[in-house]
Amino acid sequence: MRRIVFFVIALACAAVVVALGRPATASAGWCWPSCSGYGYLGPSTSTNNGCWYSSGEVCSYYGYWFNTGIAKTCYPGCNWNYQTTSMVLYGFENRERIRGRLTVKADTVYVRPSDVAMSGSLRAQTAWYSGPASQLNAAAIG
Amino acid sequence: MTSSPKLIIAGAVVVVAATATVIATQGSASRDATRLSNTGRQQVEIRRVVIRSVPIRHGSLLAVRANRAMYRLDRTNAAPCFGIGPASDVGNLGAITCPRGGFPRAGQPVLDFSVYESTRHDVRDLSLFRIEGFAADGVAAVEFLRPNGSVAVKVPVAGNVYATSAVPEGPIAGFAAVDKAGKRMGQSP
Repeated sequence: MRRIVFFVIALACAAVVVALGRPATASAGWCWPSCSGYGYLGPSTSTNNGCWYSSGEVCSYYGYWFNTGIAKTCYPGCNWNYQTTSMVLYGFENRERIRGRLTVKADTVYVRPSDVAMSGSLRAQTAWYSGPASQLNAAAIG
Repeated sequence: MTSSPKLIIAGAVVVVAATATVIATQGSASRDATRLSNTGRQQVEIRRVVIRSVPIRHGSLLAVRANRAMYRLDRTNAAPCFGIGPASDVGNLGAITCPRGGFPRAGQPVLDFSVYESTRHDVRDLSLFRIEGFAADGVAAVEFLRPNGSVAVKVPVAGNVYATSAVPEGPIAGFAAVDKAGKRMGQSP
């Protein structure tokens, strides 16, 4: 009887360890350069983690993302329509392709994987496309 | 000599009238670039909004084109946001933007939501995957441009929206809004 109780307790402990060890996908997130600051994304910027472009791009790890978004500032300057001279591509990528929307505006924009016809395990990405560096914060939630 | 003052007055009247016509026409064109007449064909409940910090519960469905539902999302004490999503699931937004300063504005008659892609790592050329977006009243079509400036595809605007999944292959470097006369009203980048 004592052996059975010990076995059940050991099994319960193992289940707790496995449950805690799993990533919490519902609240998982990625931010660049941090979750509360802005970084400069230019042609030589990289997160050095195997993004689609070896430079001029920041990207997350592979995950099942709910959406990604960027908050872009007026750096180095905006016209009266809040447009900068630097263009970025924001969206997702996998091993076959990189896909997203282009923007030059100092705005906050969001996109979901399904909106660019992608699914499965993806990287959230923001890539420099043209012009000077952009000051922005990129993030994704899963 | 007595007819000279009459001629001068007549000439002045013609000049004033012509000037007024030009100003009025330009004013109308200017207004067209900053107005969105389509107020939506129905109010719909917005579900799973992608901006969690922005309390958007309802939107106006402006149009359904190319299997895409296109929305104007009014907010209290703020400029409207614009969103887009699958036509098969009205109210489910896949992308949203809340343009700073509002949309449309003079110099920004198009709010482009087109999706671009690349399958090459070595060059930063992007091709179109899908074309979609919103346009001010005066915009008759949106032209997507090759890197050399030539027009790759021209998409008509109706009811302040444009959309198509029939896209050309090859690199795209920007777009331009054109009016009914084919005159360019704005270009990006």
